[in-house]
Amino acid sequence: MTTWTDLDAAAAGDRWPVATLDPPARGRALAVGLPGAVVHEVVIDRPIDEVWAFIADLERSVPTFDRDVADLRITRRDGHRLTARTRSPWRVGGLPMRFEIDLEVGWCWMVSQPNFYVVAMAAAPEPGDPSRTRYVHVEGVARRGRLLQPLLRLSRWRSRRHVAHDVAGIAAALDATATPVPPPTR
Amino acid sequence: MDDATIRRAQRGDPAALEEVLRDLAPYLGRICGAIALQAGDDALQETMVNVARHLGSLREPAALRGWARRIAVREAVRAATHGRDVPVDLAGVDPAGLDPRRVVGDGSTAVEVRAVLESLEPDQRAVLVMRHLDGLDELEMAEALQVARGTVKSRLHRARAAFRERWTA
Repeated sequence: MTTWTDLDAAAAGDRWPVATLDPPARGRALAVGLPGAVVHEVVIDRPIDEVWAFIADLERSVPTFDRDVADLRITRRDGHRLTARTRSPWRVGGLPMRFEIDLEVGWCWMVSQPNFYVVAMAAAPEPGDPSRTRYVHVEGVARRGRLLQPLLRLSRWRSRRHVAHDVAGIAAALDATATPVPPPTR
Repeated sequence: MDDATIRRAQRGDPAALEEVLRDLAPYLGRICGAIALQAGDDALQETMVNVARHLGSLREPAALRGWARRIAVREAVRAATHGRDVPVDLAGVDPAGLDPRRVVGDGSTAVEVRAVLESLEPDQRAVLVMRHLDGLDELEMAEALQVARGTVKSRLHRARAAFRERWTA
């Protein structure tokens, strides 16, 4: 299957100008098509290499910033395609979930099995300032339909708080791993 | 892209929606890139947002590419007209037909192609892209641009001539 990375490489080698969709743009577009999902966008004061090195280590990163995940285990790896199983810390309503994942540089797309919950983590260098990172987080219930509108509204309200907490957790985890700047010498 | 995947995407299946956007990206990227040039990425993002937002309204999955093309052309021309455009001086151009794929040979570079495209107006770039990279006929182009067939014919004629003039300058 063609990856987003393959598409970007092909576009870069084309003689005709070919527009591409960077990971944050993919996240924004997908969020629009998923009425139960919410999108949260921030600029992180760290370069993409550091941000993505943290996020891409899913077994370590997700339980660190997501309070609904006590444990994430990768059960299958096939190139950029992964399967993972998560365990919730909650005793009530905290069922294990399985996710199919596409993990590329700057792009992590997680869809639950069965197919009703989605998480997208997308990052790219901030335009004009590569020392910072544009980060887009999309998460929520992936269902649509008129009858589901009340449920989706409730889900979005819950997801907004949850996603804001996730993004704050990512920034806090990156701060915790930052190399301290030595004091200026006299 | 099979009809079943498009139907699933219309019902809000996230995996299918991502597959639809990924499948459309190179096709719509060529349209947005060649028409909007520097603003191509922004045009492609707006196109994808509109595709995702309105996909449910598409009646026939088989019509997906044509439907998405119309959105891409509209967004790309809109993005291009917000940027700097160099008007084409049509005085003295040769009206003979021209195929950019033949003119742009193996020895040409991306920089050269971009420079020539930059010298055309956005709507001229749109007809060139649709005719020669996408193989559309005048009727299909008229539908995508939402203009009369005769308008497309004259735009294509001027665009070909202008392209050749710039390329051989």
